[in-house]
Amino acid sequence: MTLYETAFLISPNLEEEAIEKVISQMAEVVKKNGKLINEDRWGKKRLAYPIQKFEEAFYVFFMYEADPTVPFELERRFKQTEAILRYLTIKKETKEKARRKEKEAPEEKSLPESEEIPTEGEDTGGEAEEEAVEKKEEEEEPEADEEEEAVEKEEKADEEASLPEEKEKEED
Amino acid sequence: MAREQRTERSSFRRYFPPKRKVCRFCQRNIRDIDYKNVDILKRYILERGKISPRRVSGTCSYHQRRLSTAIKRARILALLPFLED
Repeated sequence: MTLYETAFLISPNLEEEAIEKVISQMAEVVKKNGKLINEDRWGKKRLAYPIQKFEEAFYVFFMYEADPTVPFELERRFKQTEAILRYLTIKKETKEKARRKEKEAPEEKSLPESEEIPTEGEDTGGEAEEEAVEKKEEEEEPEADEEEEAVEKEEKADEEASLPEEKEKEED
Repeated sequence: MAREQRTERSSFRRYFPPKRKVCRFCQRNIRDIDYKNVDILKRYILERGKISPRRVSGTCSYHQRRLSTAIKRARILALLPFLED
């Protein structure tokens, strides 16, 4: 027995009863030879891109435990039913595949725990590209850079120059 | 000319070293990334609909792999665009 999750999209031009019928049909296929654990309906939802010229579709998710024959049978049915726009079956991982690193270093406690994952926003795009370019240029002339760094460090030691002051010196 | 530019840049880097990025999934101790969770996946695609590279988002290799399969699955179900213009 394996844990599967099957998602499928039903065409939006069906009436509610017809949609109901399709879903119960498919649910029966699962129940005959397996255990339907969870049935999730999202209702009509806008598609990210048109499928068969439909802009929205009815989303249904089945979570079930069954032998591999069941998803095959389900998919066979999906292909026959015209109202199904798209389907996807995945095997859910049940094994606890532990990561080696986590075992070695359980130091996650010290990390800050904010509730939301902060959004990256604009800084995902431009900044990173700039960084990449800079890294390249640094690699090209490492020796020259080192020399200059040494000089600049001496200057720094003399007085803690801020950025604009340093610029003036270079111009002199 | 070129020389001046370079010094400016290297000194810029000294005063503003690049921020160290940390994988957000590791921080939160999330193992699996679900393809149905569109809100999270949306943060990891660029405006054209591409999957954001690791050097941009800072995701670790383990989670980047999970993330990319999740995004690809979401694309099949039209939860996310293959391309956007």
